[in-house]
Amino acid sequence: MSKTTLMPMQPRVTQYGIAPENLKMRAVDLAGMTSILVKELFPGIPDPVYPGNEVSVIREHATAAISKVDLSKIKPGDSVNILGSHHGFTLLGGEPYAEVLRTVRDIIAERTGTQDIRLRVGVGLRFRESEEYIKRFELDKYFDGKAEGIAPVDRPIVIETEIGALYGLKKAYDAKWIIHTHNSDVREVHFHRQVDRILKPFGMSYARIETRSTYHHNLGPRGANFIARAIFDSPLVQEKFIAAVILQVSPSGIIGIDADNDIYRQNERITVESLNHYGRLVRLLNKIDKCIAVIDCPGPIPYTFAGGLIFANFLSANVDPFDLDLPLTPYCFFAEMAYNRQGQPRFPGVPPINPSMKAVINNYSFKGYPSSFFAEQTPTIVVGNEMAKLFESCPQNPEYMKHAVVSKDLESAVKFAQKIGDTDQIIVFDGAEGGINVSESLRELMTSKANEVSEEVKQDLMPKWLRQRNVSNRA
Amino acid sequence: MKIITTLAVVDPDKCSGCKTCYAICPVLAIRMENRKAVIDEGHCFGCNNCEQRCPEYAITMVSRSEPRVVEIHVNRFHPDAILDLCISAKFHPEQVVCFCTGTRAGEIAAAIMDGAKTPEEVSLKTGARTGCKVLCIAPILRLLYAAGITPQKPDGIQWCGNTPTLWDISAETMAKYASHGFCFDLDKNFLEANLAYELGKGENCKCQKRP
Repeated sequence: MSKTTLMPMQPRVTQYGIAPENLKMRAVDLAGMTSILVKELFPGIPDPVYPGNEVSVIREHATAAISKVDLSKIKPGDSVNILGSHHGFTLLGGEPYAEVLRTVRDIIAERTGTQDIRLRVGVGLRFRESEEYIKRFELDKYFDGKAEGIAPVDRPIVIETEIGALYGLKKAYDAKWIIHTHNSDVREVHFHRQVDRILKPFGMSYARIETRSTYHHNLGPRGANFIARAIFDSPLVQEKFIAAVILQVSPSGIIGIDADNDIYRQNERITVESLNHYGRLVRLLNKIDKCIAVIDCPGPIPYTFAGGLIFANFLSANVDPFDLDLPLTPYCFFAEMAYNRQGQPRFPGVPPINPSMKAVINNYSFKGYPSSFFAEQTPTIVVGNEMAKLFESCPQNPEYMKHAVVSKDLESAVKFAQKIGDTDQIIVFDGAEGGINVSESLRELMTSKANEVSEEVKQDLMPKWLRQRNVSNRA
Repeated sequence: MKIITTLAVVDPDKCSGCKTCYAICPVLAIRMENRKAVIDEGHCFGCNNCEQRCPEYAITMVSRSEPRVVEIHVNRFHPDAILDLCISAKFHPEQVVCFCTGTRAGEIAAAIMDGAKTPEEVSLKTGARTGCKVLCIAPILRLLYAAGITPQKPDGIQWCGNTPTLWDISAETMAKYASHGFCFDLDKNFLEANLAYELGKGENCKCQKRP
């Protein structure tokens, strides 16, 4: 690793990935790699409180934020479920989110006198993932044996909503009160379109399969996240909801904690903040004319990070995913379902997967997310037989390897990708904190475009994005 | 198409007889005998659901000696019948409904026309819902109900019930939330235009733009 590159996120032991010792080389160790800090690109994005400080700073911020929240409904002896999502643990190694959960627990106990405080952590499509995080951060001990991972196939509870019956996870709602503990990472903007973003877990992490399937099939590409609002506004949830505690994230790191009893007021604040911070970096990715993307991060392919953005954001960077005039982002399930058996869109108006991405190298990632579509749409090189076997054994990826080729090592994969793509511009999704590991040539390009992007977002896009969501910049 | 490469195996010494696996298997391949889970090897679709939720970690996935392929051939059925069923459920027959197995709405319709009356029987005939086990239950239920079938629930929690669609949301509700960024009407127009495209019923799809 050169002095100018950033430390990638370390591989970890998990049932969803290859053994760390089988990861032979990191992309950051390729010749000619350097990095670019988010701060260099966009000095207007606030300095993070983490990284840069001890994790205790998270507790300080959480304590200050929650001090303004009314917890008076909770009485001694009442049961409280702190609801979390696996997503939070994927941010900056997971410790900041774990510390938020611990702090919320301690404050509830201290201010209300109750000891019946449980942690329920939802998952995506890897049903043991939250269990792994609970063990890793010893949250089970911290919660006196009352910490559990919950999965979308677990026991249901019917939730009557304004649009009809939907289904939640019984264990999420089996306490008298709930505290929603989430993060503001822009993450799946292709799904939520930054509309009610912080409510999303009510339609996902805390929801049954029927609800999650409804989100991705039954409503439209811009209205899907209404499922989360419908559930949040339901009598069941309203009767239990106390407050939301949100880990505020920007592309440079953790910038604070927002806690409120009024989730909609909080959502407006976070919408402005996220559009402003993440909007710029997403737009900068749009300016990359051609490149090779290297996946090299402990996470499933679309959820691997570069500069605080996930690979799925790059898949759709050829359009403006925040623009609600645009029906479909290039990657979302409503787009994926629109492709025919030959891998072509069935009708006009389906934007292609980011064509600037000439090849993808999958050096290190996890199984457990349907990813065959990505390999079908972009030339994909998988590094090493262990990674190939991992995807071949995954029931969610029966055809991923049919569309990919295997390279013996990372350096050979890069040489091959460069022949395909005719470019030396490389971007690495390796979870590095505060910036992106890139090739020298891509660093130059991104640096040269940053000011232009900042102006575009400030002058043209922010006013439009806010107007589309009926959110005031003063929120 | 589902390619089954693995098989679930129960360690009877670890199995506590809690029935979790039995209650969630999407193809009903698990039965309880003497308070132990028993997996029907011929029936197992290698979806990992039981292995992922067993509280005792008593189930492991092993490679099958020979992969098994499950698929249904749509051309066994009259295309108009497939089309009619799909359209009545607001699906294009070529629309992908299971992203893991690549199963399309027309294949689900074919399975129903082939006698499937429950999501489990649809899964057995198509392989759908045996990848992630999460994303495709709603379209399967939509197609079953569109065929006039009220599926009988299994003795478990494999699925709960049909859920609302964009077409069930009232105009009043749509109007109430339009200013918050939920573009229900535009999404509806967009999806309907795309549904009609290729079917010879309407104009070419035009992406709906806000006025």
